Amino acid sequence: MPLHATQHEPTTAYDISSKEFWSRSPDERDDVFQRLRTEAPVSWHPPIEASLPPEVHGQAGFWAVTKAEDITYVSQNHELFSSALGSSALYPYGPDTGSRAVILDMDPPVHTAYRKVISSAFTPKAVARLSGQIEARAEQIVDRVIGAGSIDFVDDVAAKLPMMTVADLIGIPEHHVERFAEAGDRIVLLQDPLALPEGVDPNELLGEVMGTLGEIGLPLAEERRKNPEDDVMSAIVHADVDGVTFDEQAILSVMTLLSVAGNDTTKQTTTHAVIQLAQNPDQKAWLLDDFEGRIAGATEELIRHASPIISFARTATEDLDLGGQRILAGDKVGIFYASGNRDESVFKNPRRFDLSRGRSPHVGFGGGGVHYCLGNNVAKAQLRALFKQILTKLPDIVVGEPERLNSDFINGYRHLPVVIS
Amino acid sequence: MTTQRIVVDRNRCTGIGICESIFPERFEVDDDGTLIVHDTVVTAENRAGVEDAVQACPAAALSLASRDEE
Repeated sequence: MPLHATQHEPTTAYDISSKEFWSRSPDERDDVFQRLRTEAPVSWHPPIEASLPPEVHGQAGFWAVTKAEDITYVSQNHELFSSALGSSALYPYGPDTGSRAVILDMDPPVHTAYRKVISSAFTPKAVARLSGQIEARAEQIVDRVIGAGSIDFVDDVAAKLPMMTVADLIGIPEHHVERFAEAGDRIVLLQDPLALPEGVDPNELLGEVMGTLGEIGLPLAEERRKNPEDDVMSAIVHADVDGVTFDEQAILSVMTLLSVAGNDTTKQTTTHAVIQLAQNPDQKAWLLDDFEGRIAGATEELIRHASPIISFARTATEDLDLGGQRILAGDKVGIFYASGNRDESVFKNPRRFDLSRGRSPHVGFGGGGVHYCLGNNVAKAQLRALFKQILTKLPDIVVGEPERLNSDFINGYRHLPVVIS
Repeated sequence: MTTQRIVVDRNRCTGIGICESIFPERFEVDDDGTLIVHDTVVTAENRAGVEDAVQACPAAALSLASRDEE
């Protein structure tokens, strides 16, 4: 079957493919997604405007799935919407290489076996065991900026905890945590070419980062082979689930995946939350009234409202109908979580930041199914620990004008100037 | 009499543990990621919690089934 290559007639005049569109603010973008949800919940679009032209990357375009219900349907039916047939990135990186090194780009049963190996580190009990460390790190991070004056909240606060937590999950020794965290931040740049600074060659950067991960990860793998501990590295070097074993390349792939998936997501949600809490003092007061009783529900709203991951893609495995459109086998299907999280048929007054919504059927961790965010418990534990510290120790934080990230993948901020007196 | 029980679709369950975070007395993901349901019977006392957990499962792996039992 043609992979991502079948041309379709445009089904709507709305543009969600251009760099110009993705440089708008989330609310401006949602003005368009709102129309799509109402008028054309599934619609055909030219490929995302990329550094390579369509005649080189070879992709004809994608179906945009914009309503929460349809996003959930696509996510839960991996037999119809594959992650392995084509890449799960919406952005057309280049001609398909066929390489499916990370579990994001796998389908069951291969995916099931790989996921099972690392999922032991993410069970509620495993996260509970890690939570003391998360709380201690959150306290250190916030204590360091008390009275710091003018700082960049993104670099000095939001970026810190996620990579340290990923390091702790993998089992990275303390003296390598800082260097590992830096490598993770650079991988995030690779994940989104729209965010890559001018003049930086992605392949060169990737080589450097993989070199660093190897220097830190491979000796650790050797150590854990001899002396297993309660961490992801021990789980993968001793893996024996359905015959799945991890070679050096696979170990680096897991480290890369966790560095991407566990990094920007929580970092961007933290920054978004600080901005929203500053703009909505009533919400801040409501949360502080009963922090322990309300933070679990409030965290769900922080994630829904931030929607740090905008989109992923699937590939149709057969001809099928969705949202009134005929999708053909091999077509690329984009699922827009950021749109699903503003779906007015699910959320009343969807743009409002309302911590009292509590647990809601948001798609901030994905639309369910086998690829549902493995780290959701870890993310929630970090947000809880950080906001407990931020709200009590930085009550007078003054939030300035953020510098936004222009991306079709990550909803977020490059920088956020704040003043902490 | 008709008894309602919690049913786990093992082909769908990924051991993510949302059910455990909602109703830890009933649902427990063990260290290798397998979901254990402590007592599958739904009672008037636990119905609300069980229904919350079933509905919140992102993998749609949980359901309730009724049948006549002695």
